[in-house]
Amino acid sequence: MSSGTTSGIRQIHDVGAKALGWLYEHREGFRLEADPSPEAGMLDRFKPLGELALIGKVIFREGVAGSQQSSLAHKLLDHAWHELLGSGTRLLEGQRREPLSPVPLEVYVPFRELGYRQPDLESAIRLNHRLASWAALEVLPVRRLGLSAIERRFGVEPSVPETAALAHTWLARRPEPWTVEGHIGYDITHTVFHLTDWGEKPTGLPADIAEYLALWLPVWLDDWLDLKRWDLLGELLVVDACLPEPTLDPAAWAGFAQAQEPDGAMPVVGGMPEGDEESVFDLVYHPTLVAAFASALAMSRALSDLSADPAPA
Amino acid sequence: MDQTHATSPLAGAVHDLATEVVLALRSGDHLATVCGAAGIDEENRTGIAAARVIGADLLLPSVLYGRHPHPGDVAVLDRAVREFPPKPDAPAATAWSHWHMISTLQRMAPPAPGTTAPAPGAYAEPDAAWLEEAPWQAFTHQLSVLAPLAVPAAPSAVQRAAANRAVDLSRGFVRAVRRRDWLQAAGAGRWLAAIGGEPATLGLERGLDFVELMGGDDPRVSLHVRAARLMAEARAR
Repeated sequence: MSSGTTSGIRQIHDVGAKALGWLYEHREGFRLEADPSPEAGMLDRFKPLGELALIGKVIFREGVAGSQQSSLAHKLLDHAWHELLGSGTRLLEGQRREPLSPVPLEVYVPFRELGYRQPDLESAIRLNHRLASWAALEVLPVRRLGLSAIERRFGVEPSVPETAALAHTWLARRPEPWTVEGHIGYDITHTVFHLTDWGEKPTGLPADIAEYLALWLPVWLDDWLDLKRWDLLGELLVVDACLPEPTLDPAAWAGFAQAQEPDGAMPVVGGMPEGDEESVFDLVYHPTLVAAFASALAMSRALSDLSADPAPA
Repeated sequence: MDQTHATSPLAGAVHDLATEVVLALRSGDHLATVCGAAGIDEENRTGIAAARVIGADLLLPSVLYGRHPHPGDVAVLDRAVREFPPKPDAPAATAWSHWHMISTLQRMAPPAPGTTAPAPGAYAEPDAAWLEEAPWQAFTHQLSVLAPLAVPAAPSAVQRAAANRAVDLSRGFVRAVRRRDWLQAAGAGRWLAAIGGEPATLGLERGLDFVELMGGDDPRVSLHVRAARLMAEARAR
C-alpha cells in the first residue's frame, strides 16, 4: 500500500468519524415538532429519521468505521427509536392519521432489521399491503423502486416487482450522460441506494447499470466537485463505493474533506449557512449524514479490497 | 465582413472564414473558395492571421470531399504557415497545429516541380508524450484545441493518442456539454467521430445535434459538428 493510498484512506475515515461525531453531538436536532402546521404533511417530518435509520444501520453494521463509530451509530439509532419515535408509537400515530402513507413503513424497516419492533404498526402495514390502492399509489419511478425494496425487506411481496419498478427509472434506461443535472443526479443516487439496500449489497447493481456508472460517474464527480455541491457529491461518492471497482476518486474525496467544517458539519453547497442552531441543523444534517454514509461504505470497500489482495511474494 | 458576433477585426475574420468553411461543407461545392468568399487574400494581414487561427481546416471541404483545393485557399494557408511560425517557447498545441498545416498542404497541394517549398521533413512531428499522460479533463481540452487534426487519413501521434483514449474523450465531451463549453464539446465530438470507439451510451450523434442547437451561433462550433457528421457518415458506409 503506497503512502498516498494510506493518507487517502485516513482522509476518508476522518470525514466519517467527524461527521458522525457532529450528528451525535447534535442529535437533539432530529426532532418531531409537537405541533406541526396543518398544511405540512405530518409524516414529512419523519423523513430525516428514516434517513438516519437507513444510513445509521449501515454504519453500525459495516463496523469497519471502527468500534467507536459503530457504537455512536447505535446510540443515535437508540435515541431516535426510543426518544423521538416513542419506541414506535409515533409511527403508529402517523399511520392512524394518514392510513395509506408508506412513510411509517419506510422509517420502520431499518429499525425492525436491527431488532426494534412495534407489532401494531406491523398489522397496519400488512393491511395496507393488501389494498389495491396501496399498489396504485402514484409516485415517482425511483420512489416506487424504493417502496418495492422496502416491502421485500419487511417480508411481504413487493406490490410492483422490483425489476418492473426499476425499468421505469431514469438510470435503467442508461440515457445520454451529458443530460444529467441536479434532480436527475438524485434520481440516479437513490436508484442505486434502493438496488443495493443502501450499500449493504453492492451486488444488487445489475451489470449493465454498473458498467454505465463506471463510465460516467467520474464525470459527474468532477462536475459536482467543481460546483461545490457537497450533498450530491457525497451521494455520488456512495454510488462509487457501490460499484464493482470503486475508484475512491482522490480529487473528489479531497475536495469533500476540505469542505467539511472542523466540528464535522458538511454544508449542502458552498460554505456553511447562517442562522439559529435549529435552522442550520435542518440544512446540514443531510449532507453530514451522507458524509458519514459515504465514508463508512468507502472504508468498507477499501479495506475489503486490501484484505483480498494477495500477499506480496 | 459580418462582424455581428465579433469583438475585434481578427475575431470578425475568423468568424467569416469559419462561416465559409461551414457553407462549403454544407454544399459540397467543389468550386467553393473559402477565402475568396470571406474577402480574404494573401495580402490581407488580418485575414492571414485569421487563417492561422482556423488552420488546416481552411482546406477541410477539399479534405473531406476528396477534391483539389482552390488555389486561393492554398495560397492563404501557405502564407499563414510562413508568416506565423511557432516561437521556440510556444505551447505544444501551437506546434502541433503548425505541423498539421504544413502536412495538410503537402498532402493536398504538393508544390509543382521547381517551385520553392519547405524542405521535405523540415518540420518533424512535435512531441506527444505530454498528451498521453494528461488527466482526461486536460486531455480533452487540448485535443479539442487540436480538432483540425481530427480528419481521415492523416495519421499523427495526436490521433494515435486520441484513439487510445476514446473513453476519456467521451468523458471530456460530457464534461464540456455540462459546462456549456460548446466549442470544446464540438471539438471533442469531432475527434470521437474521427476515431470511433466511444461508448454507445454517450449518444454522440444526438449529442452533436444538441451542441449545434445550443452553440451553433459560433460558426467554429458548426464547423466541427459538420465535420463530425461527414466523418461519421463516411465511417458508416
